[in-house]
Amino acid sequence: MLSRSSLSRNAPRALSAGRRAMASAANPTFQYDVSEAAGVKVANREVNGATGTLALVAKAGSRYQPFPGFSDALEKFAFKSTLKRSALRITREVELLGGEISSTHSRENVVLRAKFLANDLPYFTELLAEVASQTKFSDHELNEVVTQLLKYQQQAVYSNPETVAIDAAHGVAFHRGLGSPITPSQTTPYEKYLSGDALAQFAQDAYAKSNVALVATGPNSADVSKWVGQFFKDLPTGSSSSQYKVQPSVASKYFGGEQRIPSKTGNAVVIAFPGSSAFGTAGYKAEASVLAALLGGESSIKWTPGFSLLSKATQGFSFLNVSTKNHSYSDAGLFTVTLTGAADQIASASKNVVDALKKAAAGEVASEDIKKAAALAKFRALESVQTLETGLEATGSGLVHGGKAYQIGEIAQAIEAVSEEQVKEVAKSFLSGKATLVSVGDVHQLPYAEDLGLSA
Amino acid sequence: MSAPSFANYIVKRPLLKRWMTPIANWYTDAAGYRRLGLKFDDLIPEESEVVQKAIKRLPPKEAYDRVFRIRRAFQCSISHTLLPPNEQIKPSEDVEYLSPIIREIEKENKEREDLDNLVVRK
Repeated sequence: MLSRSSLSRNAPRALSAGRRAMASAANPTFQYDVSEAAGVKVANREVNGATGTLALVAKAGSRYQPFPGFSDALEKFAFKSTLKRSALRITREVELLGGEISSTHSRENVVLRAKFLANDLPYFTELLAEVASQTKFSDHELNEVVTQLLKYQQQAVYSNPETVAIDAAHGVAFHRGLGSPITPSQTTPYEKYLSGDALAQFAQDAYAKSNVALVATGPNSADVSKWVGQFFKDLPTGSSSSQYKVQPSVASKYFGGEQRIPSKTGNAVVIAFPGSSAFGTAGYKAEASVLAALLGGESSIKWTPGFSLLSKATQGFSFLNVSTKNHSYSDAGLFTVTLTGAADQIASASKNVVDALKKAAAGEVASEDIKKAAALAKFRALESVQTLETGLEATGSGLVHGGKAYQIGEIAQAIEAVSEEQVKEVAKSFLSGKATLVSVGDVHQLPYAEDLGLSA
Repeated sequence: MSAPSFANYIVKRPLLKRWMTPIANWYTDAAGYRRLGLKFDDLIPEESEVVQKAIKRLPPKEAYDRVFRIRRAFQCSISHTLLPPNEQIKPSEDVEYLSPIIREIEKENKEREDLDNLVVRK
């Protein structure tokens, strides 16, 4: 057991951890080397170990799709039959090599991922190149496989009130572009736009050399450029003039407003404000991520509500889950507070959320808490870059959108530099500006923006 | 599909092919299905999983036309008539529309079988 005195001796040391420079800033293995091979941007990071990963990040997420459902379909067409191999053969070959392939899409990117034993790097580089440039997009695969998968995806997404609310919040906040739903809802007439030909034309542009980036980690990632140079030569150069091309990126504009969606699947309320864009872009505000950690809601430690304002403010509610997040994109961000749980508890707790925000804006927060929040924000930012799932996409996204990969050391410095005054300012700007409020579920009980004292 | 066929043997030999083509054309015409408004691919027995799948993969227009031709031929058969010559299928229209899809599905099935019986030697 720790004695009281030892705790009090160590606590200040923990809080002043900021004075120590990040070890990784000097350590080259955490940095991505950015190069270009065959006209494709490649970022690679040397990591010792027996396995490697390779991801192809294409700027073709739901923000850039010409019609609803295109990004979903493109994602689900990954690793389907190509001109050289059938989908079945790809699956069996990957199984034999003991690798793992997957594809996902977000609002901005379609990501193809491969994880494999380090020796198989050439095979998987070739596979990704083949998928990007030679997928057949046959109509029967679209009808027999892809649309079926898309239907399951829709069911999964739209049976969760939280994802519905977050999606709707993006729609209300950004309208088109970033606001377009990440997966079309079941009632969206998207089928009429989808066809093999249309998707092939979309893919031509989506997987064009200027539109993709490759991110690799592994022991022999230095070879990546060589293999990419060899296999990615045949990638389309893009910009066909069809109506199915990747939509040009229009600068995101924040609108804000209110939306109420009746649903029987559960209750969720999202209170959102214009947040910080991704690191390395003009709209990056480190203080937004600190404020997100300060408001929090979910404890990072077991059996304690933690230091965050919202977890303290909602301690009395047992059927309630609160979380705060800054969704960052290449030119905008959305700062969301999400409440899920019982409708009556959400209704009363959402008032506490606004009160907590007011407290932060008035500067009535202990400076210790802000330090804790900064430490947590720093940890989260660094962890998300280091974790493969999120890190690969973040790095590739940085490359395709701004030509710059994430560099870990710089994020840490940016967050360390945040002052209490900045956190206060950003909270103030949230309250004075137009908010976004989305209520999903039992709208009879869920609050309106006016009830909360927000202008939406 | 099932009867033994010399077609491949003949097609490979140009001389033989030159002799046989007029006979084959005469024979196909004499078979009479074109006069009922059918194409050869309409005669493929559809009571098999492969052909069923192939029919499902037809583009909507092709699938509609196929059903139309079969129903028209059925009517002709019931009423013991032939179609007027201008509605009969011309040899130029009697092209494969279903067989390529069937061959593709058979290839897929064969590939699956081969991969299922794969032996890995290291």
